Amino acid sequence: MHIQSTPFQKPVRSKPIVNSAENFMQNKQLSNQADSQPATQPLQQLLTRPDIWQLANRQRQPRTGIATGFRGLDALLANHGWPRGATSELLVDKGGIGELSLILPTLAEMTRQGRMVILINPPHIPYAPALVQAGVQLEKLLILHPRGQRDQLWAAEQSLQSGACGALVGWQTKETPADKDLRRLQVAAREGDCLHFHFRPGSCANTPSPAALRLQLKSDGEQLALQLLKQLNGKSGQRIHLARNPDLVRRDQPLH
Amino acid sequence: MLWLCIQFPKLPLEALTRAHRKAGDDTPLAVTQSSLILEANAAASTHNVTAGLTIATACAYCPALELLERDSERESQLLQQLAQWGYSFTPVVSPRGSASQKSSSKNARSGEETDCLFLELSGSLKASGGLAPLLQQLRKELHKMRISHFMGLGHSPSAAHLLSQLPEHRQWLAETKAPPTPQQWRQWISFAPSKLLDCSNKAIAKLYACGIKRVSQLLAIPLSEVGNRFGRGFIDYLARLNGTRPDPVPSYEPPPEFHSELFFPSPLDNSEQLLFPAGRLVRELCRQLQRRQLYSQQLCWVLDYGSRGSREVKVEISRPLLDPQRLIALTKLQLERVELQEPVQALALKCQQLRALEAQSLREDFFDEGSKLHDSYQLIDKLKARLGHQALSGVTLKESYLPEQAWASADSLSLQSRQRGHQLNPVNAPRPSWLLPRPDRIQQRDHKLFYDGELQLLQGPERIDGYWWQHRRHARDYYIARGVQGSLYWVFQDLTSEDWYLHGVYG
Repeated sequence: MHIQSTPFQKPVRSKPIVNSAENFMQNKQLSNQADSQPATQPLQQLLTRPDIWQLANRQRQPRTGIATGFRGLDALLANHGWPRGATSELLVDKGGIGELSLILPTLAEMTRQGRMVILINPPHIPYAPALVQAGVQLEKLLILHPRGQRDQLWAAEQSLQSGACGALVGWQTKETPADKDLRRLQVAAREGDCLHFHFRPGSCANTPSPAALRLQLKSDGEQLALQLLKQLNGKSGQRIHLARNPDLVRRDQPLH
Repeated sequence: MLWLCIQFPKLPLEALTRAHRKAGDDTPLAVTQSSLILEANAAASTHNVTAGLTIATACAYCPALELLERDSERESQLLQQLAQWGYSFTPVVSPRGSASQKSSSKNARSGEETDCLFLELSGSLKASGGLAPLLQQLRKELHKMRISHFMGLGHSPSAAHLLSQLPEHRQWLAETKAPPTPQQWRQWISFAPSKLLDCSNKAIAKLYACGIKRVSQLLAIPLSEVGNRFGRGFIDYLARLNGTRPDPVPSYEPPPEFHSELFFPSPLDNSEQLLFPAGRLVRELCRQLQRRQLYSQQLCWVLDYGSRGSREVKVEISRPLLDPQRLIALTKLQLERVELQEPVQALALKCQQLRALEAQSLREDFFDEGSKLHDSYQLIDKLKARLGHQALSGVTLKESYLPEQAWASADSLSLQSRQRGHQLNPVNAPRPSWLLPRPDRIQQRDHKLFYDGELQLLQGPERIDGYWWQHRRHARDYYIARGVQGSLYWVFQDLTSEDWYLHGVYG
């Protein structure tokens, strides 16, 4: 496992996309408080905002993320884990490179805590024996097959904001969802404090997205190669290689 | 014994117009029976349309008059519903319909008999905090249901029926705090005009011919004399009125199901318009259920297209739910998807199986994992209502050597129940996280396998051979293979045909 830092092509967004109305409200609150309280107070308040990135205090940053189960990946992520209550985009072109095993430890942990995990339109049948082997409690797993994109987005939004659901995994259908829909899902995930994993094709890497974390997943032949395309409150552009389960890639002597 | 008689003078009209949106709707309406006006609404009454007019006269008074044919069946349905409503206040309830009465006994005065409901209240006074609050409650709910009514209180059903027609008594009832003493009852009954007696028109004409204008005059006559003139039945009636003889009424048993219907005089052609009446029915249901401590697992909506058939819409509910707002929200999700083929003439809500609320299910709400579980049930209900039952599934393990039979699709309802039974354990061998619904054929050329590029076998074989006792033997050698782009696949060679297949993907 080795980490390389490569310069990222696109300029890093210094300010995340936040609902403008929300921004306005926050600013208004800040200015209200500034009137009544000493001058140092607003600054403190400003610094505690989740969307302000303090490079100097990286060490002091709280570990608020949800552990991914991979120590190397945790170290790269700003909150030492998947961003809580936000969308994480996983850009994958070809299945079978370990894309599900990347999130399976988190999903299993969610079900063990008694929270629901919902899969929307998975590409194949989630195979129960493998899920149990990974520690998933099957009774907490719900699979949805909505027909059409509208129903799919509706189901995703409802599940995310319900608060009952610990993690939602969605696969993009043939149609690319509009930017406004992605933003709605992101807001819904924040409302319901739900992890949202969104599998999208690699071609989406060039279009901007409101997701808090974007990872490109590829295979280098043996291992799963991850590249951080975007991360709120953190650096991006790093790469990391995660080895696959040794049980799978162990090579037997050929019989014939 | 304390009997309350509630009379519903406008039931024929209300059974047909209850679904109307506004109380202050000012289209003049009238209900007709055998070409006579039976009942008219307030708007029609201002045009002097009253009961007993012929249709021609009524239309001359008010050209805009809308005429509706009387529907006895719907009327008796509504009376049954009212009985069910009354049952929530007292267990002794007896409805008396005008339609059935007329055919069964010739005694009844035709046309003037109204539907009424008898409630025995003596057992319910304590629970509702006295007579006045109870009556207040009854009046309020009837008003909410938009049913016009008047009430009478008596020591027997017959007396209550008689007194409900006496204006002085009704006025007293509106102000009273405590049930009357026996002397008061006797006074009222003897004060009542004899035309209010529940007997045939002929008998009443005879009474007046004798100069008996008040019941007191009648009671002054020795009973044997009265019996000679008016017959044994009349004496019986007087005895029941006095309370010297028991006055039995048929007791009402609530059905084990809920059924309520709203009829639209002008059919609706938009499913959004249905939401308002649907909300009313749901609130009615919830009130019923709460009082009888029942719950329903399914709401069945029937959209009646009149002569062109009907359509059923079902809303499934996974756990006891008595909150009308949530039920309406679930219904809304379903109704939004319904395309009306024809204008809807009536909307009915049916719940076939009502189950008793169990203390256990409630306890889980309060102390167990609590709101999280509750939230997930709500979410599942919502998803089911919009996406349909078949779009939700879960997965479970099954005991089988065959990979495609080692899992099963589970009903999403069983999702949340904790399993206490015997636990199945999966095979202790690497299994793919994705299974293909049916094995995909792999190309084979020069002893090489091709699936999106050449496949390289890493591990294997794992032989799965069994089910030879079934009509087709499954003998397979499973391998883990890697594609050119680094994907790991689960492939097998069928030993009987020697063909290669892709069966799973290690995602």
